[in-house]
Amino acid sequence: MNKSILAALCLFSAATCQAGVHKLYVQGIRQLAMGGTGTAWQWDASTIYSNPAGLARLKNLQAYGSVSHIYQADAYGNSLTSESSQAQVLRPINVYFGGTVKKDGNLGLGIGVYSPYSQAIQWDDNWTGRYLVQSYQMSTLFIQPTVAYKFCDEVSVGAGFVIATGVFDYRYALPVQNATGQDAKAQLHSNASGVGFNLGVQVKVSDRVQLGATYRSQVNMEMGGGSANFTVPNTLKPLYPNTRFDGLMPMPQVFSLGVGFKPLNNEKLTMQFDLNYTGWNSYDSLRLNFAQHTTSIEDLHSPRKYRNTLSTHLGANYKVGKVLSLMAGAAYEPTPVTDGYVAPDMPDADRVMFSCGASVHPLHRFTILAALQYNTSMKRRAATYNFANFNGTYLSQTFTPGIGLYYNF
Amino acid sequence: MKKIYIASAISALIFASCKPSVNITTPPSAGNTDLRNYLAIGANMTAGYADSSLYVSSQFASIPKRLYDRFTLVTGVTGAKTSFIQPYLKTDNGFNYASDLTRVPKKVLSWVRHCNGDSSLSPIYYPGGYNLSDADYFTSPGANGQVNNIGVPGMRVADLPVAGYSSTLNMYAKRFFVGSSTTPMDELSYRVRNLEPTFFTLWLGFEDVLGFALAGGQGDGSMNAAVATGTTNYYNTNDITPATVFKTQYEAAVQVAISRGSQGILINLPDIERLPFFTALPIKGLYIPRQTLADSLTAMYAGYRYTFSLGYNNYIVKTHTGVLRQAVDGELLLMSCPIDSILCAGWGSTRPIPQEYVITTEELQNIRSATVIYNNFIRDMALRYNLPLSDMNTFMRTMSSSVVFNGITYNAQYLSGGSFSLDGVHPNPRGNALIANNIIGTINNFYKSSIPLMDANNYAGVLFP
Repeated sequence: MNKSILAALCLFSAATCQAGVHKLYVQGIRQLAMGGTGTAWQWDASTIYSNPAGLARLKNLQAYGSVSHIYQADAYGNSLTSESSQAQVLRPINVYFGGTVKKDGNLGLGIGVYSPYSQAIQWDDNWTGRYLVQSYQMSTLFIQPTVAYKFCDEVSVGAGFVIATGVFDYRYALPVQNATGQDAKAQLHSNASGVGFNLGVQVKVSDRVQLGATYRSQVNMEMGGGSANFTVPNTLKPLYPNTRFDGLMPMPQVFSLGVGFKPLNNEKLTMQFDLNYTGWNSYDSLRLNFAQHTTSIEDLHSPRKYRNTLSTHLGANYKVGKVLSLMAGAAYEPTPVTDGYVAPDMPDADRVMFSCGASVHPLHRFTILAALQYNTSMKRRAATYNFANFNGTYLSQTFTPGIGLYYNF
Repeated sequence: MKKIYIASAISALIFASCKPSVNITTPPSAGNTDLRNYLAIGANMTAGYADSSLYVSSQFASIPKRLYDRFTLVTGVTGAKTSFIQPYLKTDNGFNYASDLTRVPKKVLSWVRHCNGDSSLSPIYYPGGYNLSDADYFTSPGANGQVNNIGVPGMRVADLPVAGYSSTLNMYAKRFFVGSSTTPMDELSYRVRNLEPTFFTLWLGFEDVLGFALAGGQGDGSMNAAVATGTTNYYNTNDITPATVFKTQYEAAVQVAISRGSQGILINLPDIERLPFFTALPIKGLYIPRQTLADSLTAMYAGYRYTFSLGYNNYIVKTHTGVLRQAVDGELLLMSCPIDSILCAGWGSTRPIPQEYVITTEELQNIRSATVIYNNFIRDMALRYNLPLSDMNTFMRTMSSSVVFNGITYNAQYLSGGSFSLDGVHPNPRGNALIANNIIGTINNFYKSSIPLMDANNYAGVLFP
């Protein structure tokens, strides 16, 4: 893969390029609008992400691009203080190109670029949890060349190889103060990379019912030779030399099952139901190993003990006319973060999502998509991070508009 | 692209209106007690002594001040009402007397170059020096000469009945005591009548043992010490206060404290041996880098049958009675021991470390038994007078091994532990806040109150140049 292209993509998606991570639902605008469903039905070239098998069911080649704006904000409170993180804007882009090589052929080829996970949080530098995190960012960008084949009208399969890149940035205060009482700071920054794959199968049961299943492998994002810079009082510089660090951030494996069906006696309404089983337990702890150790610099090891989750997604698409379709959806996503391990770099809780959207087909070959998703965590009361004796109540919300368009060749 | 900006502007607007917030409102309450008028009775820890002195910012960071700040969060009739007046010094320079009675300022951290060419971060006297105005008498700005924190650094339970204490024996007492010929007990009694407190903290007794420990056990630690020559009831500061004296005077102080119907809390003694001042320098600190050196030391002490080996050995010291011997494991070397004498003058190896810098096993036993006897008595007093007991002995034991608070692990390591001031005996503002939180926990438990705790990390820890 051409490195400068990777870098350019990273730059373009600016804030996206960000360990604890949130799973994002922005890989396809229609899927975003339909509650994160899409395993059973191929709508457009974004099926490269949502189910590679769908690629062989597209009627032609398609170019697809979308951008979404994730506004994320978190709040923390305890009996003494109530703080809000600064709202973070992530702007992940997705680009897909692919479809059936011959019109209505059996072989589908394509490539997709998308962001499956990301987390960005920035608290005030002087907030009460500053010795754990001041700001934290992990963003990913996956590049996935994909091939799909339709054996018959009923069964298609697809497989994609994932080349993953990412950026990790972590800042926190060190518990040593200078003569005027200001905290020292640690600033860790690294690129990350990994590989994985995405497999899918789609079964057309009838003209009105389709089933789908996908398996996305775990992707171990390796951080090697990241920079660790410490800003400390002069007298302590020998104890805090700037150094390098290594680490590993696993992006979990996901197994998805979906069904799509047309309940009415016409083509107008399509409903989708998806289940995602996510293997979060691969994220056992955040481990960062420094190249140089002193009495003050020890490897960072903060336990996370994530648990696997099963999320439920529901979506609907209603074709109003030849030009306009409307979408809506909802999802429930239990948190992978277990009691006693709620760290302020990713203060997660069970989440609900509501979404809606529209697609407009104004011209031959052209479709424009728009979606809006609201995602809120339940209030996580008396959340504890025992490792650091840090307790409080958290609430996080994201608000995600997105637009996209595609062109059929 | 324009569309994107419009879309993001609109959504930013929508989002701004639903930015999450979390407010937890448990209204602080005084429960079954009354925090309107708080009187802090005690000595070093109460006054805010730190970095080998009292100074304005150390007083602002005192444990009673921290407690009072929390008491003010209690609204309603039983919340803190009056202001909290401490007998503030005038400057931040610090003002104290060194052991040879020369005037000195507080300590600050600095690079110090040792005789062997090495440098280390060590406490030095504040280069700005002391300011004589800090010895001035404190005139309370409050009504009726109100003073809420009557903690006197260095004051022992044994000193409570000593007439004229403030005129000659304690410069910090002299700064605000009303009468110069009266006793500290009279002063306490006057303050109670003057302030009519509704709540008090009483933390006394630590100094009755500390003086003996700081002097390397050079006083009488038997708890049968005799009064100082030429006095009727004054004990040398190097002695451990006899148990009978301690008990009589301590109980009298409690009775005075509650005499106007005040509620409060008694605070017991921490283990002195766990303080950084007694742990910073290891007794097994004699480092021998070469076998020939070990052999020559072994030869030198052949008469004593001491053998030395490569690596770390116990120092050669003098005991209480001036006898030379090699220290044994568990004995303590005081932080006051001049490092340069060890590094370049053969202290601990070719020459014994003088007895005033060493706490031997016997002396340590004296300190431990006194602490236990006093603490048992304080517990009895708490039960008899129906007062809660703040078990500072247990808490500071935890604090010396490790207390994790909002991401910081505190312990009693000198400088790096984060909770003790440069004198190695008294906590810094963060340590004070941790202690105040623990005291509030006991108050809340006993009086069914809900006084909020504080974020200890918001205060100053060890400040590095």
